[in-house]
Amino acid sequence: MRVPIPTVKPMNAIAFTGVTKRYGDVLAVDGLDLEIPAGATVALLGPNGAGKSTSITMLLGLLRPSSGEIRVFGAPPETAVAAGEIGAMLQEGTLIPELTVAETVDFVRRLYPRPLPLEEILRLADLTALARRRADRLSGGQTQRVRFALAIAGGPRLLLLDEPTAAMDVESRRTFWDNMRAYAAGGRTILFATHYLEEADENADRVVVIARGRVVADGSAAEIKAGVAGQAVSFLLGGQPVAGLDALPGTTGVELQGGRVTLRTTDLDATVAALYRTTTLEVRDLQVHGADLEDAFLALTKEA
Amino acid sequence: MRHYIKVEMLRMLRNKRYIIFVVAFPVGFYLLYSNLWGSESDQATGLRGSVLLMVSMAAYGALAAAMMSTAVPWSQERHSGWLRQLQITPLPGRAIILTKLASSLLLVLPSLLLVGLAAVLTQHVSLPPLRWVELILAMWAGTIPFAALGLAIGSLLPPDTAQPVAMIGMFGLALLGGLWFPESMMPATMKSIAHVTPSYDYARIGWRIAAGETPHAADAAGILAWGIALVGLALVAYRRATVRA
Repeated sequence: MRVPIPTVKPMNAIAFTGVTKRYGDVLAVDGLDLEIPAGATVALLGPNGAGKSTSITMLLGLLRPSSGEIRVFGAPPETAVAAGEIGAMLQEGTLIPELTVAETVDFVRRLYPRPLPLEEILRLADLTALARRRADRLSGGQTQRVRFALAIAGGPRLLLLDEPTAAMDVESRRTFWDNMRAYAAGGRTILFATHYLEEADENADRVVVIARGRVVADGSAAEIKAGVAGQAVSFLLGGQPVAGLDALPGTTGVELQGGRVTLRTTDLDATVAALYRTTTLEVRDLQVHGADLEDAFLALTKEA
Repeated sequence: MRHYIKVEMLRMLRNKRYIIFVVAFPVGFYLLYSNLWGSESDQATGLRGSVLLMVSMAAYGALAAAMMSTAVPWSQERHSGWLRQLQITPLPGRAIILTKLASSLLLVLPSLLLVGLAAVLTQHVSLPPLRWVELILAMWAGTIPFAALGLAIGSLLPPDTAQPVAMIGMFGLALLGGLWFPESMMPATMKSIAHVTPSYDYARIGWRIAAGETPHAADAAGILAWGIALVGLALVAYRRATVRA
């Protein structure tokens, strides 16, 4: 006999409902709907000006939406911030030059009701060796690590990171993401904004692509790659006419570059079959490409 | 919030600019001037030079401390993103300005006490104990308008403008208040401007207490009015600077 299991809707860490933010005539965020369940690590991927920072700033209650509603663990952002539920690493921010790393971190952690122990924060941010160094003697990458430490100091359930690796070299980036994963491992929710595709691919369970203030794709990195343009086929066209290629079955886009034409397609077999059967073109040097996230990203964020 | 005040004090005590303008300047100039004119007696107040200069330099140091510990650091924090860092913690918004004001008032004490100490040790200035207490308390409370002015400057101006404005304000007020040379030496126009500044009231209250007299009601009313106006301005400016769009 099957016992019906009551379905419990998992608590959303973040919920945007029809959120719009307008600066004068500019629509920075345009009717954004987005739900992120607690415990997920999500990348907010988009080009500059897509509305990533505006969305994060609104999640922190530093900006109010022009319309729509934002909830963080079911409450307004200001309430969540006051309860110490959110930690964030914003794009810009310097430290107090006269204070040491440990003094700065300890000051911020004491502002939270349930902070992590100081030693643990320093360890999670790789700062143990720099604890007694003054903030004005830190390098750019070291300062970023302190800002990460400040974001996790209160042990928040939701961590927001706005392009956290922007000022870091390759080595620091790798360490940074390792540290982030260590923090996420406790069942915490992470939302990070980035315009680096590899970062989204490697560090998030889910990628939300936004462009012009709207969600244009949402899923795992693999799903996004598969969902857009799927694959591509290219061949040397030489001087032959390009007209009509966009009408081939499955074709979603045609690009011509230096005599080579690339057809994006959702159905490779049908497109290639039709290319040979229904056209009179002389097809030379045919190549098939699997789309990577970069292609998917460009296709998605291109002016619709 | 106690820890926040502690952190604010710690950082200012490590700040070279604060130490130079607020501790080294007033004490250094007191030592210099009191050696030159310490034994002369002032016509207007009847005070010995060493006592008059003690009040003047302590007043300058206190005024400088109140403005230096507020205007530029606060403006920098707003622009560098540190304010945002605090705004996304559970710290309530009003705690920031209250802490700034409280720590600024505590940072006034080193210059008041060190100039007094220099006067006692080098010029053998001696006042009755109660008069010391009155003098220090009055000169301490009297710095509230200047701290408020500094906070208003920090809220209204970006750091590169706040810096010169705070400097000019600080030296201007010290000069007009008669802290660097007596008001009787000022030209007529300057004198009439000097009479409406809070630093003039502030200094006169200090000299009269040091002389064992009751401060004039007009001076007390003057600094009180300035205090109310500048604290009001500081609150309005703070709200404007931290508003969430």
